[in-house]
Amino acid sequence: MRPALWLSLFLTLSLPRMHAHAQASAIGTTRSFVGCAIYRDTDLGRKSGCWLVDDPADGSRFDVSFAPNKPREGQAVWVEGVVTADPDLCGGTVLKAVRVSVLPAPCPVVRVPPEGHKGRPSPPPVDVLPPTRVPRTLPPPPYEPRTFTIYFEHGRDFLIYQHAEVVLEKAQLYAQASGARSVAITGFAATEPLVISGHTLAEDLVLAEARAAMAAEALRRLGVPPALLRISVAGAPAPTDLENGKLPESSKRRVTITVTP
Amino acid sequence: MRMRDRAIPHAMACAMLSHAITCAMLCLCGCTQQDDARPERTRARAQEAPGDAPVEADARWWSPGDDRVFPRALSYANESGVVTTLNLAGPTATAGHPFFTPLGDNGRACVTCHQPADGMSLSLASIRERWDATRGGDPLFATIDGANCPSLPRGERASHSLLLERGVLRIARPWPPRDAQGTPITPEFTLEVVRDPAGCNLDPVHGLRSATPTVSVYRRPRPATNLKYVTAVGFAFDPKNGLPMPLDPETGTRTSGNVLSDVRAPTLAAQARDAMRTHLALHGDVDPAQLAAILAFEQQLFTAQSRTTVAGSLSEAGARGGPELLASAEAGVLQGSSDPIWSELIAWKDLPVPNAADAQAARRRSIGRGAALFSTRTFLVTSAAGVTDLGFGNPVRNSCAFCHNMHRVGLDVAPGQVDIGTSNEPAASESDKKPVTDLPLFKLTCREGARAHPHLGRVIFTHDPGYALTTGKCIDIGKITAQQMRGLAARAPYFAHGGAKTLRELVDFYDTRFEIELSDLEKDDLTHFLEAL
Repeated sequence: MRPALWLSLFLTLSLPRMHAHAQASAIGTTRSFVGCAIYRDTDLGRKSGCWLVDDPADGSRFDVSFAPNKPREGQAVWVEGVVTADPDLCGGTVLKAVRVSVLPAPCPVVRVPPEGHKGRPSPPPVDVLPPTRVPRTLPPPPYEPRTFTIYFEHGRDFLIYQHAEVVLEKAQLYAQASGARSVAITGFAATEPLVISGHTLAEDLVLAEARAAMAAEALRRLGVPPALLRISVAGAPAPTDLENGKLPESSKRRVTITVTP
Repeated sequence: MRMRDRAIPHAMACAMLSHAITCAMLCLCGCTQQDDARPERTRARAQEAPGDAPVEADARWWSPGDDRVFPRALSYANESGVVTTLNLAGPTATAGHPFFTPLGDNGRACVTCHQPADGMSLSLASIRERWDATRGGDPLFATIDGANCPSLPRGERASHSLLLERGVLRIARPWPPRDAQGTPITPEFTLEVVRDPAGCNLDPVHGLRSATPTVSVYRRPRPATNLKYVTAVGFAFDPKNGLPMPLDPETGTRTSGNVLSDVRAPTLAAQARDAMRTHLALHGDVDPAQLAAILAFEQQLFTAQSRTTVAGSLSEAGARGGPELLASAEAGVLQGSSDPIWSELIAWKDLPVPNAADAQAARRRSIGRGAALFSTRTFLVTSAAGVTDLGFGNPVRNSCAFCHNMHRVGLDVAPGQVDIGTSNEPAASESDKKPVTDLPLFKLTCREGARAHPHLGRVIFTHDPGYALTTGKCIDIGKITAQQMRGLAARAPYFAHGGAKTLRELVDFYDTRFEIELSDLEKDDLTHFLEAL
């Protein structure tokens, strides 16, 4: 990414500003932008605190705290999320169905106090993997080919905590229950260059392979016989219906696992 | 004041106890619990230390080959009170038992570094006592790892300075790292020696340029007790790398990732084999029967502080401290806000203090407050790889219990490979305000294409690459597996590199590292609580 663009982001954060809310953004529309994260330390217990990112296009400040993968201070992030009318508790328009990708480019570290913002307790994950001591229930028939999908950060093959693992275990249990004859794993990478906030972002096809390999290793460790695993890769994928089709770019960074009984 | 100087009358102690086992634990003659089955020699030693007499030095140290009986409950005094180890199998004769018998050619046994008086680990005080008592002749000081480098002359204090000053043993790791099958892997980083005060990493026979290139790091022994917690797998997935925990090829069961500081041995069996071949200098094959006996013995032990000098018994007045709960409780259970960790001691935080002079009641309240603070006092966890790069965000607000989250022992269920800043610069030198000068310093440079360390970039200076010496990954540089927190008072100093000499120093380290700004009262409460574990 070009240094001039990061200088521009730095200035955006450093200069006194009247941060704008995204009044112009229609509720339910998708915003996609690259920016520097701001941490607002609203102390409402464990994992509380607000993550805010400004869209450099118009200076609008968004609350991305609902992302399954939070920002890291000092690093740029790519945000894709849906504008909501939820109450502003953090100092930004709330994005839901939001995904954050941490980018390697540096940003200034910005922590701010509550400044009158209430914040909110950490939202619990939608679905979590139960402890090992909890017996698993196998899914009931009918058994027919079924596809499970996991999504990734931009540029990474890391299986996102409390998200990918739930899907992977469901796939393993379905394979076990259905007596699967094959488990086809396809890794995808968003290889077509995309310009976001002036930055060109594209993934290498080798990442599709790495993502598929991670999913395959996870399934193998969960007990899926290696002989059943079929691995393939693909670039330039079409979007899926992730979050009702509201996150077209995030949906391209995925692995599909098709279990065939 | 040391506990051994103010022994509690036996009858009074027993009267305070709720059941016979606990009563037995509190015999402050301690080291040898009365037992009809024990051999003559042990019985005679107990008679030498009758009633409430302080523990004698010769009884406190268990030498390999001693003909003694490890009773059902074994208690020793320490500076904070009494540590007790339960032996669930009942009295165990140690004569010929492989845990207590030299198996290699340097005279050491497992017990050499896993002493009952030190919570089945090894305290710096014991190390120094052995040095003074034997003038360096104890097998503990074998040069293979009890000296800064095997090439140094044995018996000279300077040769053993790291063991005598930090309580750390040399851990020799192959370079490049090897996978579980022993096949070399290509690390994501290069490794250079910047400083080598111990001399071993540049040693022509034992160093990186030797015929068998080796990285020498220096670490404290981990306790061989409460092992059902160490091996417990609370969740199938390791959130730190996103994958399910690996399966043990020998048994097909999932491994916990919590056995060793760098996960070089993922199971107790692998750890025992590794220790026999390295620390005990065993040559040839490991005897399966001996291995089985060692594993059985160490897994039947449960250790905790059972008394403190001021608070008295830790298992009365609503508290359930001590080792009995450890023996009976389920392992691998994650704490939560509705079920906070250390509930066994939190009950004391609201204990009435009838008058200001009631030191015991006041200390119990302090312990209870410290136990509660552990999970309620939040702060910003910042740039701790293994925590702040998983999706929680960096920083993330949480408490001590964020990482030390397994009920009863404070291990990390996850498991616990985290860089808290004890190994990697700059935190390693800045956090306690004392530059580290006696440990080696390495410069690790991540190769092009490798994912950089999440918070330190591509060039990292470290005293111990930790988990990265097992995985070869940049993101793992400086990660050390979190330790169990039981029996702490018996086994100072703390952290893998022995950098905190006291529990107060340990609290101060975290306070500085994470800018918690604990008050003096909070520091006192946390210290008193840690002493009671």
